Amino acid sequence: MPSGAPISIWDLFQHADFVVKLVMVGLLVASVAVWAIAIEKLILYSRTRRAMDSFEQAFWSGQSLEELYRTLASRPTHSMAALFVAAMREWKRSLEGQPRSFAGLQMRIEKVMDVTIQREIARLERHLLVLATVGSAGPFVGLFGTVWGIMTSFRAIAGQQSTSLAVVAPGIAEALFATAIGLVAAIPATIFYNKFVSDVNKQAQRLEGFADEFVAILSRQIDERG
Amino acid sequence: MRTAYTISAVGHAAVLLWSVWSLSATSLPVSSTEGLPVDLVTASDFSKIAAGSKDAPKAETPKPLVEKVAEAKPVEDPTAKVVEKKEVKAAREPPPAPEAKPSESEPEKKQAETKPDPIADALAKDEAKKPEPKKADVKPPTPPKKPAPPTPKFDPKQVAALLDKRDSTRLAAAGETLNSAPSLGLSNGAAAQLSLSELEALRARLAQLWTVPAGAKDPQELVVLVRIKLNRDGKLAAPPVVLSSGTSPLFMAARDSAIRALFRGQPYDMLKPEHYEQWKDVEITFDPRDMIRG
Repeated sequence: MPSGAPISIWDLFQHADFVVKLVMVGLLVASVAVWAIAIEKLILYSRTRRAMDSFEQAFWSGQSLEELYRTLASRPTHSMAALFVAAMREWKRSLEGQPRSFAGLQMRIEKVMDVTIQREIARLERHLLVLATVGSAGPFVGLFGTVWGIMTSFRAIAGQQSTSLAVVAPGIAEALFATAIGLVAAIPATIFYNKFVSDVNKQAQRLEGFADEFVAILSRQIDERG
Repeated sequence: MRTAYTISAVGHAAVLLWSVWSLSATSLPVSSTEGLPVDLVTASDFSKIAAGSKDAPKAETPKPLVEKVAEAKPVEDPTAKVVEKKEVKAAREPPPAPEAKPSESEPEKKQAETKPDPIADALAKDEAKKPEPKKADVKPPTPPKKPAPPTPKFDPKQVAALLDKRDSTRLAAAGETLNSAPSLGLSNGAAAQLSLSELEALRARLAQLWTVPAGAKDPQELVVLVRIKLNRDGKLAAPPVVLSSGTSPLFMAARDSAIRALFRGQPYDMLKPEHYEQWKDVEITFDPRDMIRG
């Protein structure tokens, strides 16, 4: 590198050690993945929230539950609608198959709804672990690249028998670039992870609240029939 | 998921491209300054003692006394008479007799190539042959009345006759270039420049007073490190503290000699009171390897 020439980011990458390059590329891939997951989750959560809003509106509009079930069961559903469909399917199956046995029906409906809630939460939480990992390990990986790069540049100093800043500066700049990439990847990952965890918690609470309400409605029906 | 990854990858590529093109670090503006010529002056340049005689006039560019072009050999006493052969130490100071010439001015004028006076030469040869100098050769004293007195009588004149009346001689000071006039300095100095630091002067005085016990196989065991605290008048404020330790009798002799030298050298008036902070607490190394010549 000619001394005095401005150091561009490409130069920093190009002159770095192999291990540092590997760290930089890995962190760049992690950053791409973090942002992809973040975009996907942002879309998913807003869609889920809108679906829940529209379903609750339909549910409490006074429409017949049978009709609602018929409309929803024809196509695959998610979140609250899936909860409703699962509970209604169990209800109908119990009524159609053995009309007299109401004893375990409420418990079965609760179980079915629990399983559905778990499945929905698992769907919402998928890939969030990647964000958590990048958020916590990214700075360390970048630091490793930095330490390695500084080690290499100090070995270069020892080889050149010169301690001038011009010898040290490029190597240390390369090495610090690794930490910079690590932080660039890790900071959004941590922010998005915290945001998404709280979003998932909110949606899970909303699902559980709906499940409790729906079980209460069905339980009243069972008591009226039994 | 694929769209999300595409968006993310495209976004990263865009940011990277932008940073490559625009985020190049500009080098710091460094104004070039002209080089300053610097002479390195080491401390020893100042602390070495010039070789010469104590009462010689101070020369502008002092040179060591050289009377013969040969391998450099320093002279113990520049005021003694120069002979070719060997050094003769006078048994006493030259008496203030009229025939005893003051030798301060004469020997320095002579060069080594010129022959010294034949009397001194012959005397030196006689001295080599017989340990006892002949009194008849030197000067006949007042002849004794009795040729062989049965009982030797103490006669101070005879004692004076028995003494060596020759001037103390020395070998010619050798060096690369001839210089007949000794410059101001000490006889055991080594440096050409006259720049005597106070601590060097202190060291020189202690080196004169310290006697190294002879016969040590290893001179390293004779190194004595002493810490002294001094008053402002140059006297010892406290007994010297010996910091180095040893068990051999030679070391103990050297140590005791060093302590005696420290006591005998008082007051150290070469230390200037205005620099008292520098020499009020001094560690002095008595090392036979470098203090033998100060």
